[in-house]
This record gives sequence, structure tokens and C-alpha cells, in this order.
Amino acid sequence: MPPRPQTDALRGSLDLLILKTLSLAPMHGWGISQRVQQISKGVLEVNQGSLYPALQRLEKAGLVTSDWDTTDNNRRARYYRLTATGQRALGDELENWRRFAAGLEAVLNVS
Amino acid sequence: MTWFHAARARLRLLAPRAAESRIDDEIRFHIEMETQRLVREQLLDPDEARRRALATFGGVQQHRETLREGRGTAWFTGLSLDLKLGFRMLVKYPGLTLIGGLAMAFGIWFGAVTFQMVGLLTSTKLPLPDGDRVVRIQSWDAKTLQDEDRVLYDYELWRSARSITDLGAYRDASVNLVGADGGARPEEAAEITASAFRIAPQRPLLGRVLDESDEAAGAAPVVLLGHGVWTNRFDRDPQIVGRSVKLGNSFATVVGVMPEGYAFPVAHELWLPLRTNAAREEPRRGTAIKVFGRLASGMSLENAQAELTAFGKRLAAEHPTTHAQLQPHVLPYAQLSVDNGEVTAMKALSYFFVVALVLVVCSTVALLLFARAASRETEILVRSALGASRRRIVTQLFAESLVLAGAAAAVGLVAAQLALTRLGKPYLQMAFDTASVPFWFDFNLSPKAIISALALAVIGAVVAGVMPARKITRGLGTRLRAGTAGGGGVSFGGVWTAVIVTQVALTVALPAVVMLLRSESKRVESYDAGFPTHEYLGVTLGIDGAAEETLTPETRAALGARITTSLEALRSRMEAEPGVAGVTFVDRLPGGDHDYQRVEVASLPEKVRSFVATASIHPSYFDVLRAPVLAGRTFTSSDLSPDARVVIVDQAFVDLVMSGRNPIGHRVRIGSSAQLDSNAAQLPQYEIVGLVKDLGMASAAMPQRQAGLYLPTVSGSQGDVNMIVHARGDALSLAPRVRELTTAVDAALRVEKLMRVDQVMTPLLWLLGLWSRIIIGLTGVALLLSLAGIYAVLSYIVARRTREIGVRVALGASARRVITSIFRRPLTQVTLGVMAGVVLISVAAIGIQHTEQFRAAQPRGLTLGEIALLSCYAILMLGVCTLACIVPSVRALRVQPTEALRAE
Repeated sequence: MPPRPQTDALRGSLDLLILKTLSLAPMHGWGISQRVQQISKGVLEVNQGSLYPALQRLEKAGLVTSDWDTTDNNRRARYYRLTATGQRALGDELENWRRFAAGLEAVLNVS
Repeated sequence: MTWFHAARARLRLLAPRAAESRIDDEIRFHIEMETQRLVREQLLDPDEARRRALATFGGVQQHRETLREGRGTAWFTGLSLDLKLGFRMLVKYPGLTLIGGLAMAFGIWFGAVTFQMVGLLTSTKLPLPDGDRVVRIQSWDAKTLQDEDRVLYDYELWRSARSITDLGAYRDASVNLVGADGGARPEEAAEITASAFRIAPQRPLLGRVLDESDEAAGAAPVVLLGHGVWTNRFDRDPQIVGRSVKLGNSFATVVGVMPEGYAFPVAHELWLPLRTNAAREEPRRGTAIKVFGRLASGMSLENAQAELTAFGKRLAAEHPTTHAQLQPHVLPYAQLSVDNGEVTAMKALSYFFVVALVLVVCSTVALLLFARAASRETEILVRSALGASRRRIVTQLFAESLVLAGAAAAVGLVAAQLALTRLGKPYLQMAFDTASVPFWFDFNLSPKAIISALALAVIGAVVAGVMPARKITRGLGTRLRAGTAGGGGVSFGGVWTAVIVTQVALTVALPAVVMLLRSESKRVESYDAGFPTHEYLGVTLGIDGAAEETLTPETRAALGARITTSLEALRSRMEAEPGVAGVTFVDRLPGGDHDYQRVEVASLPEKVRSFVATASIHPSYFDVLRAPVLAGRTFTSSDLSPDARVVIVDQAFVDLVMSGRNPIGHRVRIGSSAQLDSNAAQLPQYEIVGLVKDLGMASAAMPQRQAGLYLPTVSGSQGDVNMIVHARGDALSLAPRVRELTTAVDAALRVEKLMRVDQVMTPLLWLLGLWSRIIIGLTGVALLLSLAGIYAVLSYIVARRTREIGVRVALGASARRVITSIFRRPLTQVTLGVMAGVVLISVAAIGIQHTEQFRAAQPRGLTLGEIALLSCYAILMLGVCTLACIVPSVRALRVQPTEALRAE
């Protein structure tokens, strides 16, 4: 099993992960968790229970919107998609994250 | 669009049921997908896969809670649960529900009725199209502080106003209408301008409404019928339009019938065109009219007032003698009078009273709820230990009292609606002595009154629920640590003592008010008019055309002479009837209100002046009333000549004005205070020729005797006429015959009111009865609440001190000592309450005796007997309160020491 990062660090970036995943395609909750795991090659694992409150929070903030739809194998599921505001927010968040990561990287690289 | 998405999301989230099922569906979908993945990828069997999926997801219920909280509706779910619990509590404690609920319902009932009645009297809403723009114009005499209705001259000028359109006028006219059955009965008619039907537009049921051409001099006389008149008097004759009907002595053609409910301008059922020659009227002369109109488009009430004020100034400059102190006021049509702060004061006062009543009632309910909550202390402590916050517990207790208040509000509002629709109209009629209640008075509870009453219920719930809850949850943590559940960190503080004392004081004091009202009723009932009033029929007669102020002196004299002849004819025909012992005339019925004049006894050296009730009577008056003259002589027909100048006085006049001296031969002057002050010498003197006993010159409503003076008069020559018929049998059985003969003798005579003379005070008695019933209700509520309060407190104290009592009994304390120690506090409270009540009564009694209105009366206030009765009542209260203590005390004494020690 690949080593897991601290959940705290992940929790802070959960919103970012959701927004990024949704920017690729509209997706239901379970799909989002699978997609994150898949892309990160299993490094990142979304705590499934905290996924839905995060989605609800983002929806209330107007960053994502949701509607019932059917999946490929014809099951009813709630699909989340990014709104225009969400798109902008994702840009800002990414910028922030990169700056943070660069800062972190710089500190860690000091020998 | 962000706001749209966000708003949509929020709306969806707020719909609790939809949001709940969405959460469930989403979680279910997630678990199923995860299960399938595990089956597919890790080849687990479905059950194991599902178990693992659930475990990975974490506590489903906990996540649901988190989602609910995120939705911001957790409090809602919590509250609905609390309300459900509250309902269960209502059922579980039926005694408390019944007593507390009843008390709150009474408060809310009283509040709703008060709000509605005050709303009716102060509202300016008119149920007409554009009703808020309909106005009336009132001329206010700043000197006499009265309305001046003789405004025909001003009306001519007002009509040129630009700020008011459809300006019109009306005057009340009671006319005898001969119906389909040939009988004549008076109807409330309005002589009105055609513009009224533009102000209050309504398509007539039949025919047409009045129009301007009907008002022209010489136009054919026409009449428009109201629905009630058409139904009751003409059996809904569909062919009525075009028919000629008899109105008094003249005829008019029916032009139309108005639909049901139409009663503009106030409560009218018959409309005649208003014909005035306003153009030729002198200032402040002519007939009295009321003026109405509609604000022109774009104009406000202030604009109209400014324009009318300018008119007023102009008229004051042109006619300083008549108009200097007249001010025209533009008012919303439904506003009853110029608002000079009194209306606001009345509103504020009644609202204050209602809120105070509800506060007192609810603080006692709070006491009951507190006792209940205190007995549930263990439960509350456990909840607290399990993590419930103080706010959460207070909310739960508040929800319980909210449910109680809600049930009480429902009961109170239904009762208020019943009381208003059944008693509202008669109440106004009796209280304001009027037959007509304006058409815009709707006695059904208005939304405003309902909302106010509900607000009252919420206030009540806060007082009854939050107050005790806050008290009981104070220091929960400390008690929890000390582990003293059931061992009483909670105690009844000073507030509750005050509540019980107030309640008991009210319970003691209120019966005094009832007693006062009752004795007032009894006084009015036993009112002695000096003759057997139940044998006499009092008939108020109206005379068509007599109020016409456009009459010239000649025509007036002619009309007077005709009416006098008619009245004499009526008198002789009535006297010829079997069952009639005598008939006479007077301007005011005995026992009713009389005219007051200032009288100076000119022949006494000190020239005593006094206000005296006067009555103008037919010479036969004292004979018909079987009241022999005590001294001097009675009136004869020769006294009717204008030069005779004789009067008869009653015994009260001798006692109160003449200080007991023999009045015969003394001379009096009669006039207003101003006349007597300025030129008394020029006023004619009247000789007192006779003395009779008191014959109802003081109205039944007045507590004191009233000096009376009788003037002989030619009946019908002036003012009001009341016919008094002495019946040999049942007086009221003569009524139909009186109506018939009156119309037969002269169609211009109307029977306006007909009653037995002893029924003059019926309205007053009705009002007194209603109020004493309301106060009895209040007393009952107060009594019930104080008993329940004392019982609740004692039960609680006993429950809390079970252990202590057990130990004391075990150690050999006597029953008496145990009981004394339990009783001491409630007994002190009740005694204090009774004392406060007695002080309240005494202060009120002393106040009454020192009130201007009552001082002149024979010593009133409370008699010795009544004080004794009240003392008995106070003792009874103490006894009943002791009774409330018995059950808890017995329970206390039955406590077995072993049991008590085990209780911990």
C-alpha cells in the first residue's frame, strides 16, 4: 500500500481537489472520490464521509451546482458541475496552492 | 448567475423533506457504488463488500447530522422534536395543561377582543374602492370644542376645492315609511347628494341610484330603497321600481333598490335626494349636514387640509362674528373624531392593560411550569451530562410552553370570534346608545388582531417557558459535579413569592370589583322613579319635518300647532282604548337623561344657584303618574299661556337647593351660567306653584339625587316628545295599537322607540352585567391559578425534602412540627397576598369616596356588610389555600424513614 499523506493537509485541499475534478467533467460524489484516487495513483484518498458536506458547502457558496441525472449503467445519481464562479475560484485556489507548495518546497530544500 | 445557483441551492436545502431524501439517496448511491467496486475489484462477497463500504464511509448517521447542520436546519429539526415532546407533556400533565392553558386562553381572549374593538374604533380603513382616499370635512369650533354641522354656507365654498373631488353632503332623516302591509314605521334615511354613489359606487339591484337631476328644486320626489327595507317592508317586490310609496305625509317614487350590505354613508337603509338652497344660506345657519368627498388624484390629505385651512381663514376674515373660531378639518372618512392624542392614548392604555394582564397570568403559569421542570431535574441533569447545551435545554422547555400557548391561543381566538360576533354589535349599541353601527365595522377578527393575539401568545410562552427554564438550568455544571440530582440546587426565589402574593391579592381584590358592579346593578335595578314604572309605556315620537331648520318661523309655528292638535287627538283616542288608564306627554322619560339648566332662586337673599334637571310636561303629567302634589297646586291648562311663568319643583329641589324651606311662592330664574352671570336681572322670573315627590329626574345611571323642576308646555310645540301611557294590564301589549293610532292620527308622527318605562335602564344593566361576568371570569382564573401555584410549589418542596422529612420523622419529630415547617412559607405568602388584597380594596374604597363624582352621593364605597363579606372571602381564600397544601402534606407525613433514606 502506498504511504498516505496526513489527512489534515488533505482536508485543507479537499475543496481544491473537488473543484479540479469537476473542472474535467461533471461527476457524482462517488465518482469524484474514485477520480481523485485514480489520478493520484492511490496517493490521495478522499474521506468519503467528509466529501458530501464539502460538496454541500461549495454548492451553498455557488461554486458548484447539482442535478439528478443517470449514470452510464442507467442509475439515478446526483451530478455536480462547476459554475462560472467555481471556475474562477479554482483558478485562484490553484494559484494559492502553487505558491504554497513552492514555498514549502523551498523550505524543505534548504540543506 | 452565481446568486441564482446559490439561491436555488439554498431554497432546495431549506425544504426539509426534499433535502432529507436527497441526502439519503446520495449516501445510498455512494454505498452501492462502493459495494459494487469492492465486489468487482477485490472479489468480495456482496455482504462483506457492503459492510466494508459502510465502514469506509464512516458513521452514516453522523454524516447525515453534519449535512443537516451544514444546511442550517438542525435547529428546525430540533425544534420540531421539541414541539412533539411538548405535545406529549400536554397530555401527560392534564391538570397543568387545563389550568395553565385556560388561564392563558383567557388572557389571549381578552387581548384579541380588546385589539379588535380598539382597532374598530380607531381604524380609518374603509371597505370601499380607493377607501383610503375618501374623506370627510368637519368644521371644528375651537371655542366650544364641538363640531359645527351647520355648514351649508361653507359647503358652497368648499365645493370649489381643487384637492377634493365628488364633494357631497348628507343629513340623517328618520322618516315614516308605509310598507306593503300599510303599516308605517320609521326608517333610517339619508338625504344625500348624488356624488355619494360615486364615492361608494355600487350597481343597484333594481332600477337606478339617485342622480343630480333629482336634487333640483321642483324635481319629482324619489326614493332609493335599501335591501333590508325592500325585504322587510315590501316582501322583495320585483315590481317596486316606479311604484309610489308614502313617506310621512308625502309620496315618493321608488327609483331603485340597493344590494344587501350597502349602507353608505353610515348605516342607512333609505336614500332621498338632498335638496338645499345652499347658495342662499346665511353663515352658520340652516340645516346640519355632513360633508364628504374624495382626494383628487395626486393630492394628499395634507394638500386638502392646507386648501381647506385657507378657505377657513378666508371665511373667518369675511365673517368674523360667526367664523372666527371655526376650523375646517379634513379627516379620513372612517376616522371618528379629530385625533388630538386621545386616540393614541386610549390605544396605548388598552394595549398596556392587555399586556400587563397576560404577563401576570403567564408568570403564574411560569410558576407551574417551573415546578414541573424542577420535578424533572434529574432528566435535565442527565441530558446536560450527555452533552446538551444549556441553550438546547432552555429551547426544549420554551417549546413546551409554546405548545401550551399555541393551544391556548387557538381556544382564545375561537372564543374571541364568538364573543365579538355575538356581543360586539350590541355592546357598541348599548355603550354608545345608538341603533346604527357604521357599515365599515367588521366584527370578525381582523388579521391584525389575530397577529397581535398570536404575538401575545409568544410573549406569554417566553414568560412562562424561558423564565423558569433559565432559572432551572442555572449552575447545571456545578450540580452535575456535586451529583445532587433531586437534592435541590433549585429553589423558589423571591420572584415566585411575588407572583403568588400578587395572584392571591388579585383573587381577593377582584371580587370587590364584582361586588361594586353588582351593587351598582342592584342600585340601577332598584331605581325608584317614584311611580310603578312597569305599568307605563314610554313612546318616543318623532315628527317629520320638525328638524328642518330651513323652516320659516311662520311655517314652524303652523307645524307646531298642527302637531299639538294631532298629539291631543292621539291622547284622547288612546285614552278611549280599553286597558289604558291615562296618557300624557313629556320631553324626557323619567329615569333617562334630562336637560340641565342653571337655576337661581331669586327670592332668597343668598340667591342660591344650582344645576337642576328640567322637564317640560303636559299639564296632565302628575295625574297620569298618580303622583299627588305635596304642596301648592298642579298645572292647569291656563298655565300654558306664555305669561303664566309657573313651575313645579320636586322634593330633591327642596332638600338640595332650598335647604328644606317651603318652596311655594318662591321665584326662580332659569338660564345658562353665562346668562345668569351677565344679566340675571333681565331673565324672566318663574313662580314655584307646586311641590311633588321625586319622579325620576335623576337618571338611573347617576348615583346621587338630583333636584328637578317641571315646566308646563304645549306638547309638540318644541323639541322631543315622549308619550307616557298608563296601562291597566301588560303595558307592552298596547304597542301595536299605539303604532296604529299614531299613524292614523298624523302620518308625520313616527314611533321611534317604544318600551316599558322601567326598561329605560336596560342598556346600562346589560353593560354592567357583561363587565361583572368578565371580571368574575378573571377572578375565577386568578383563583384557579393561585391554588394551582401553591399546590405546585408545595408538592415540589415536599418532593425535594423527602429525605429531610424522613430523617426528622425517624428522629421522632412530631407531625405538627414537620407540617409547620412545610407550611410556613406558603402560609406566609397567602397571608401576605390576602393582606395586599385588603389594602388594595381599602385604597380603592377610599379613592371612590373621594372621587368628585361619588362625593355628592349618599355615602357609598363599601358598607359594613360588604366588608364583612370580603373578610369572609379572605378567610375562605386562606382555607382553600390550606386545602391545596393538604395533599402534599399528607404525602410528606406518609414518608417512611427507610424509604426516604433510600431515595438518595
